[in-house]
Amino acid sequence: MGRILLLRSWHGLIVIMGVTIVVFVVTRMIGDPVDIMLPLEATAEQRAAFEHQLGLDRPILVQFFDYVWSLAQFDLGDSLWQNRPALEIILERLPLTLYLCFSAIAVAVLVAVPMGVIAALKPGGIIDKITVLLSLGALSVPQFWLGLLFIMVFAVQLGWLPAGGAASFKHLILPALTLAIPTMTRLVMVVRSQMMDELNAQYVKTAEAKGMPLFRIVGLHAMRNCAVPVMTLTAWEFIRILSGYTVVVETVFAWPGLGLIALQAIERQDLVLLQAIVFVIAVIVVVFNLAVDIIYKVIDPRIKLD
Amino acid sequence: MIFGRAVFAAAVYGFATMLPAQAQQVVIAIGSEPTTLDPQLREDGGERAVTDNIFETLMVRDATGALKPGLAASDPVQVSDSVWEITLREGISFHNGEPFNADTVVYSIERIIDPEYNSEQASFFSSIVGADKIDDLTVSVETEGPDPILPARLYWMKMVPPEAAEAEDFAANPVGTGPYKFVSWDRGNEIVLDVNADYWGEAPEIKDVTFRFISEFGTRLSSLLSGEVDLITNLLPEFVAQVPQAKSVSGLELPIIILDADEGPTADVRVRQALNLAVDKVALAEALYAGYADVAQGQLMAPSFFGFNPDVPGYGYDPERARELIAEAGAEGIEIELVGTAGRWLKDREVVEVVAEFWSEIGVEPNVRIFEFGEYLNRLFDRETRADAIFVVNSNEMLDADRPLSAYYHKDGVGSSNTNAEMAANIDAARSETDVSKREALYHDILQTAYDEAYFLFLLNINDIYGTSERLEWEPRVDAKILISTMSVD
Repeated sequence: MGRILLLRSWHGLIVIMGVTIVVFVVTRMIGDPVDIMLPLEATAEQRAAFEHQLGLDRPILVQFFDYVWSLAQFDLGDSLWQNRPALEIILERLPLTLYLCFSAIAVAVLVAVPMGVIAALKPGGIIDKITVLLSLGALSVPQFWLGLLFIMVFAVQLGWLPAGGAASFKHLILPALTLAIPTMTRLVMVVRSQMMDELNAQYVKTAEAKGMPLFRIVGLHAMRNCAVPVMTLTAWEFIRILSGYTVVVETVFAWPGLGLIALQAIERQDLVLLQAIVFVIAVIVVVFNLAVDIIYKVIDPRIKLD
Repeated sequence: MIFGRAVFAAAVYGFATMLPAQAQQVVIAIGSEPTTLDPQLREDGGERAVTDNIFETLMVRDATGALKPGLAASDPVQVSDSVWEITLREGISFHNGEPFNADTVVYSIERIIDPEYNSEQASFFSSIVGADKIDDLTVSVETEGPDPILPARLYWMKMVPPEAAEAEDFAANPVGTGPYKFVSWDRGNEIVLDVNADYWGEAPEIKDVTFRFISEFGTRLSSLLSGEVDLITNLLPEFVAQVPQAKSVSGLELPIIILDADEGPTADVRVRQALNLAVDKVALAEALYAGYADVAQGQLMAPSFFGFNPDVPGYGYDPERARELIAEAGAEGIEIELVGTAGRWLKDREVVEVVAEFWSEIGVEPNVRIFEFGEYLNRLFDRETRADAIFVVNSNEMLDADRPLSAYYHKDGVGSSNTNAEMAANIDAARSETDVSKREALYHDILQTAYDEAYFLFLLNINDIYGTSERLEWEPRVDAKILISTMSVD
């Protein structure tokens, strides 16, 4: 187990290094931050002077090795746009994004698991049909539009919840819900189909035959067997939310997290901040995957990690 | 029942706490969070919205755009070709008690032009060499050669207190002389200002100000509709009917299309004139901006800018004449590359597409190419292989002819497409002409020439539109500043 973890960590490190190189190259390709930061009418001399100040006039290889050398010392560089350490900005924003992501995942799991199980108990029944219909419907709605719809209904029409910001718990409800719904729908479908398979299995028939109550069969045996695929999907969904969906949802709800700042870094071509954000997200994803692997092993000892 | 009551209670509680906008208090939604509140470092609209209320400048503009003394006691006097003398108001101090005097002014000027400081605003002050204290309330500013628009430049330079500005945390703890004092900055959420009780000028009515940062337009609009904020910027024209109050004013932004006067199909002046005559600007203003745009008067200038030539008529809509000119030039069916971008300026992509539509009606073949902004800038700044036509929006914060003319009319400008040496010489001459009326005459002459030569497709002058709550009383300004001291609420 220890050896395997070491191997996995090594793989993770390779992934992070790969991401580092790709991000460095891509951010250098998307454009010149000097052009974005200075007024359009600035002269060529003023642009050159500014570029020199930022160190962007050095050869690309020098910049790259400088970047890698700084990374090795855990220095992610100073944001070009905000003029302060990128890590400081990320640490300011990351907790808000994680708070939002975990809230969304929690909502999704708490709703999806019971819904999927109940639907699976009577396949083709009325509850099952409604569940499937709702899931497919919700899945087909673009998140961006869903967020604006929530704002129109709950903030503008009813006035119950704020349209944007992150000042209180009330501000969390709409973005977390918007983020949770697509995940919820995919999760419901997986829980439902897994549970159906399990309920058709021989051991369930046997348990039923010996008179074990249904809630014990489902709760004790079938659930445990469903856990691995459901967890796989949940982990995957968490990564999707963290590394992608938050950008959209945070923008719509003016939620000042990492997604919103990533979008602003792109708009302002802040190479340093952008590559720092991608680096940190890559590290989180790698560590998270490692943790999930370990949890698999705990839940299902039959799983081999190598 | 209990659940129902709880929901009701939560709703009422939520509603009550979501209406911070009480009397004497306003909430302003801006599109982007400032990255610093040091007013001399960045060139950014979100930051300006906040610092315009904390800091002040030697020169200010009234609501119509006319320059007048601010922290200066009177208009600056040009004592020699390259030296201006400025007398300061007496008895003003910063929010932290530091006095405002000649030392402050010298410090502020030296700070912003210091190359080490690397201010994004430096291009506004490139003519300033240095400043000297004459006595406590008099400062002399030295410029590189004669600089007639120094007063306009001073309108852009915020005065900072030496002691506070040297402190590590000045960017997060701004100290100015203005009508509002900085209170707090909850990063990501809001910035709060409080009225300065010792303000030297007229006491403002609004006591507390909160700035919130909402980049997504739909959310900004919703926040206004739900009563969470009192003012939103950049209201899209199609939503004017939905907000409690919409206010608009002739803005600083002028879209044009730069036509290559040196090479390719547009090198023929008849073709350039035809491309101007082909476009129905009135229809463009109506269709894309719901009427919140004025037809530009044949120049990259709005009537409120210094140098504006009221006698330049502008090209009307005359597709018949345009077709004739194209035929005369033998340019029927010729391909014209039209470069634009998307999402940077209001309706940027749409304008280009509509213009191309008009062009194809007079018998030329527009080839529209929309680039991502970075790549678009490469095309705009590429003087070697010029596109036939490039869409650009000029924003004239200084309300003066020098910057747009140097950038787009001057043969060496970053975005110009002509090699007219005489016009370039005139632009250079105007920059150092100290006699105001002579300088104005030079600009009139330049603008007339550029109009005759049709160096650009002159389009519109876009209005700034703001959405405000029912209770807010405020008139927008031509310089786009959001001055809380000019607001009141019922």
